[in-house]
Amino acid sequence: MNLAEGVQLVSFAILAVMMIGSALGVVLFSNIVYSAFLLAGVFVSISGIYLLLNADFVATAQILIYVGAVNVLILFAIMLVNKREDFKPLPNAWVRPTMTAIVSAGLFVLLSTMVLVTPWAYSTESVSSDTTIVLIGQHFFSDFLLPFELASVLLLMAMVGAIILARREFLPDQVITPDKQQQPVLTLPERPRELVGISSDKTSNLDDSRRSE
Amino acid sequence: MLKFLKQVGDYAKEAVQAGRYIGQGLSVTFDHMQRRPVTVQYPYEKLIPSERFRGRIHFEFDKCISCEVCVRVCPINLPVVDWEFDKASKKKNLKHYSIDFGVCIFCGNCVEYCPTNCLSMTEEYDLCTYDRHQLNYDNVALGRLPYKVTDDPMVTPLRELVYLPKGVTSPHDLPANTRGAGLHPEELVEQQEK
Amino acid sequence: MTTGIDLQGSFIKSLIDLGLPAGAAKAVWMPVPMVLMLIGATVGVLVTIWQERKISAAAQQRIGPEFMGPFGLLSPVADGIKFVFKEDIIPAKSDPWLFTLGPIIVVLPVFLSYLIVPFGENLAVTNVATGVFLWIALSSVQPIGLLMSGYASNNKYSLLGGLRAAAQSISYEIPLALAVLAVVMMSNSLSSIDIVEQQSGYGIFGWNVWRQPIGFLIFWISALAECERMPFDLPEAEEELVAGYQTEYSGMKFALYYVASYVNLVLSALLVTVLYLGGWESPIPIELLAGWLGISETSPWLEIADASLGITMTVLKAYFLVFTAILLRWTVPRVRIDQLLDLGWKFLLPVSLANLLLTAALKLAFPAAFGG
Repeated sequence: MNLAEGVQLVSFAILAVMMIGSALGVVLFSNIVYSAFLLAGVFVSISGIYLLLNADFVATAQILIYVGAVNVLILFAIMLVNKREDFKPLPNAWVRPTMTAIVSAGLFVLLSTMVLVTPWAYSTESVSSDTTIVLIGQHFFSDFLLPFELASVLLLMAMVGAIILARREFLPDQVITPDKQQQPVLTLPERPRELVGISSDKTSNLDDSRRSE
Repeated sequence: MLKFLKQVGDYAKEAVQAGRYIGQGLSVTFDHMQRRPVTVQYPYEKLIPSERFRGRIHFEFDKCISCEVCVRVCPINLPVVDWEFDKASKKKNLKHYSIDFGVCIFCGNCVEYCPTNCLSMTEEYDLCTYDRHQLNYDNVALGRLPYKVTDDPMVTPLRELVYLPKGVTSPHDLPANTRGAGLHPEELVEQQEK
Repeated sequence: MTTGIDLQGSFIKSLIDLGLPAGAAKAVWMPVPMVLMLIGATVGVLVTIWQERKISAAAQQRIGPEFMGPFGLLSPVADGIKFVFKEDIIPAKSDPWLFTLGPIIVVLPVFLSYLIVPFGENLAVTNVATGVFLWIALSSVQPIGLLMSGYASNNKYSLLGGLRAAAQSISYEIPLALAVLAVVMMSNSLSSIDIVEQQSGYGIFGWNVWRQPIGFLIFWISALAECERMPFDLPEAEEELVAGYQTEYSGMKFALYYVASYVNLVLSALLVTVLYLGGWESPIPIELLAGWLGISETSPWLEIADASLGITMTVLKAYFLVFTAILLRWTVPRVRIDQLLDLGWKFLLPVSLANLLLTAALKLAFPAAFGG
């Protein structure tokens, strides 16, 4: 065993322990913020394992998307909706954890049999790390074209949905009707949004007035 | 479509304008970098206070007649005048006098109204102590004369901006006898008499 | 192109000549560039802090640090010593683990990103194939550390600052990545060394600034926002949030934040240099100079001069950019949070997308000039 293999083995062991440990932490911690932070640990360890598999681009993308975007969004959601609530002790509270444990164990057994049964046909030739991006690109535009496009359509749908939610085209009537001028206390009045066509002459008016000054 | 394009054009114009304003601001900042620093390295260099500077108050014990005018004109009745009536000479006999400079606002009313001129302003301004009660000066402390900045061998005296020649902003490295801008008071008097 | 000096090869070879086995020689070599880079980054930070103080002073007609060492050069060192000896306070009712982990998570990716900064053709820690993409990914880890320390401080200003920092770095990462993408599209590679090579050959006229002026501006603005520099320093806005997520920190933990922010600034400047200002290339190509002076391109001392010139050029360009950042700090007032997000999402994002589109079109139209 030379140096490289030794390093690989040791780092695999460290990454595996880190991943399983933090994954258990995600599930078992009662403080949801800890779970969210440990999730980042899981993602980082997964990307380390990708790195050991010579998939450097996937590893980097894993960090960028899962740690940098998904996990930060989860944390954002937790911290913005941090409502303290006293939980009443439920009767038969043990039922839920038990059910979850049974389902998880079943899933684990299923997956491990799948891992053991599948005849893994992995090629031993190592891919040069310089060409991984090119290879991924070629696969995206040939045999994995449909999943790629489907994923992009899915993301587009999510984006459109988010924009519709954020823009809120349908304003409630009370803002538009002039007789209901009085706003509830401590809220900012929602400004009626200008459509693309209307606002252009307004800006030109502003420009004129600015020039005349 | 045209309107949209016009909007895009307006937006681009505004962005360019904003960029130009930022560039203008940057050039101003850059210009400032080339100017000489106006810093006065305080303990080593000090500005010479002007003639009518209102610094720490000086008190002459022997001149005081304990009339308490200073207390009455003071906005907060600050000076403490401790006197005793001497029946033999039928005069007030001053025992102690003190002013707390931690409370004084250096308005100069007491100096203005003192009938015997026993109060006067000095040019001392660095009244720093470790305890605010040390700023409560008694008649001995009030009677001390401050060091003149120009006499202190440790200090390079610097002139204030008003006393510099026209167009000069830095008091450093000025020749000793350069005249400040404008006329001196005695010259003004001379002019008046003509 | 000359191949430059192969430091690694000659180092390992000399060790093998000394009688070490080849594997051990390689193992001895491995930490050397990393340690060198760490030291370089730290020294770079000290210089930047000094520069910031002096330039800020000059912009306000002050003198700045003067008595600590010649021209106050030792003032950042004095700062460092002070931080080491300060009491390390963990506030009551805070979360001690997350409180300690926060600054570490902020510092680590910044120093890791120095992996990809090249100072010469063979003067980089590694030539990673994913290059600049690695930097973008690593810099996206930072907001987690900020959120962590904001949450752990048990202070509402800290939490607000942490949330602001995370929001800011998420929204400015996208224009940043898109600006990088346009450059990558021209050089056909993510590797920072390839990106510089693609700009070489024509001296100052080959640099990417001329081909990507919009991208350059977008990248520099977003990089300043990522570093939380002055016009975008909302997360630590003193007037509103005390010091944001840094409020409760003191001693070494605060020093980690302080170092991270300056290392990040230097790193961003270095990356702008690599992506847009031709990296280690001098404004007049050195081959041309050698040709004028009649020196053979392969003479050994020319290669040494080339390498040292490369390092000097990279550092000079980076520090010029740091200088503009400091100047900008005293020129532009801080933006509001809504203006910040408006600028990121409604201005920089569409403009960078348009820039990407334009680059693609130009690449198809003029493959010779835009790296077909």
